[in-house]
Amino acid sequence: MKSVLKIALGIIAALGGFLDIGDIVFNTQAGALYRYDLLWAVVLGTIGIGVYAEMTGRVAAVTGRPVFDVIRMRLGFGFGLVGLVASTFVNVLTVAAELGGLAIVLQLLFDAEFSLFVVLAAIGLVIVVALLPFGGIERLFGYCGLMMLVFLATAIHQGPDWGEVAQGFVPSLSGSTLYLYFVVGVFAAALMPYEVHFYSSGAVEEGWEESNLRENRLNAIVGYGLGGILACALVVVSGYLFHPLGVDPADLGTAALPAQGAFGETGLLLALGGILFCVGGAAIDSSFAASYNLAQFLGWEWGRYRGPEKAPRFTVSWLLFLFLAMLIVLTGINPVEITEYSVVLAVVALPLTYFPILMIAGDRSFMGEHANGRVSTMLGWFYFAVIVMLATAAVPLLLMTNGGGG
Amino acid sequence: MRTGRRRHGLALALLGTVGLLFAGCGDLSRAELDRGVESLSALAAQGELVANGVARDATKSTYARVMAKTLGGEAEHEAEKLADAEPSPGVERERGAAVRIAGELADLFSELQTFPGDERRGAQVQRQMAEIKEEADAVVERLTGKAQ
Repeated sequence: MKSVLKIALGIIAALGGFLDIGDIVFNTQAGALYRYDLLWAVVLGTIGIGVYAEMTGRVAAVTGRPVFDVIRMRLGFGFGLVGLVASTFVNVLTVAAELGGLAIVLQLLFDAEFSLFVVLAAIGLVIVVALLPFGGIERLFGYCGLMMLVFLATAIHQGPDWGEVAQGFVPSLSGSTLYLYFVVGVFAAALMPYEVHFYSSGAVEEGWEESNLRENRLNAIVGYGLGGILACALVVVSGYLFHPLGVDPADLGTAALPAQGAFGETGLLLALGGILFCVGGAAIDSSFAASYNLAQFLGWEWGRYRGPEKAPRFTVSWLLFLFLAMLIVLTGINPVEITEYSVVLAVVALPLTYFPILMIAGDRSFMGEHANGRVSTMLGWFYFAVIVMLATAAVPLLLMTNGGGG
Repeated sequence: MRTGRRRHGLALALLGTVGLLFAGCGDLSRAELDRGVESLSALAAQGELVANGVARDATKSTYARVMAKTLGGEAEHEAEKLADAEPSPGVERERGAAVRIAGELADLFSELQTFPGDERRGAQVQRQMAEIKEEADAVVERLTGKAQ
């Protein structure tokens, strides 16, 4: 029972981190364009983030060091700084995208000026972080994000040809550059760097020790597994409803239409509520991740558990990142476009985040008996090779497809 | 002499650049028009789904209103883009049809935006959206020669 209750971190990481605006946008568009053909890429990404989250959680539990500590230690100041700049840029873009997503959902629910909701969403996040302890934030966004289960129920209700759905799990690489762009997008949306930054720092915030390793593994499997199932459900419902009609789900609100079609207003409200809490959770995760990285790299006191008095620079930097993200959204750039760019640009920063984790987690002199075993090593290197390949292809594909516009 | 040649070169480069700029903003090609009409067809399909929610009283009026406003704005933008562009020879008729379709779509979204809680109007808009989608698909078929 205790273990079940303790997987909250995994659930928020999976729903408020894994299932964020990037996943919702890319998976819904992937379904609309290629029906079920990209399900394999969702699974590939889900296993990838599970593998690396488990490693970062293990490193944090065994050594008490979060990801950016490890990056600076392993890559040194110069390369570490490059990693910091790249990940901060991507993280701020991600916070902007999530904040914009929050404002879109609030607008769909309450119909007022978009810019007003952007400001209200930012203020709301500050209030939530100020009032709730770390565990409370996890529970609020993690458990309310479970409303996303409506997409799973919608997929079952729609009753697609399950044989056809199953075929989508078989990897295929067509020659179309747009298809390849979506492979990169769906995979990268699952492996956004802020997810592991937040996950490992969260483990330190919660005071994990070696005794938490089982819980860490459970989080990686159950939490990200659940996120992966919901991400697949998004592809399936979109593929079933939008693909035959030729709908291009370029707006976040369109993602909720299948749930409305299946369960009426209740379905719509659950879908919008689920998106609201997932995107809200991701806004907190990504903004925290940006401040965690900066504070850890510069050796500041950090952590929500320390409070603003004991970690003032960490708190101020968090507020500044949130403010900066708010300004980006207020310029009027479409949040969905910000999402697409942040996801694809994140791919380029991925090797800088994942390589040091892989090295440290496999280092017996550092991790002792908890260093990567044969399976973790094999999976880690396999995913690192995939990440490098995609990082090389990401920007050319972005340009060749006009940002996925074809 | 050298200065003169340089000036001549500069003028040519300038002319070339201006030429390229005009080429970029030039005729609306068959492929561009096809993409535009496909976008209109996709918008009509989304409109049909939103209107279906209104018709069945299965939606939230704020959602229907905001979606109609967003999608209507996209239809209007597409209409302006198509109307401003000079059609390349052979696609004038299709361009005209596309502008009309975009205009009608924008009107229907506007109706949905004004009456997001009216089931009867919702059903009517849903029907009209379906018809417009068929018309848009027919234009795409004429442009590409492929059945939609």
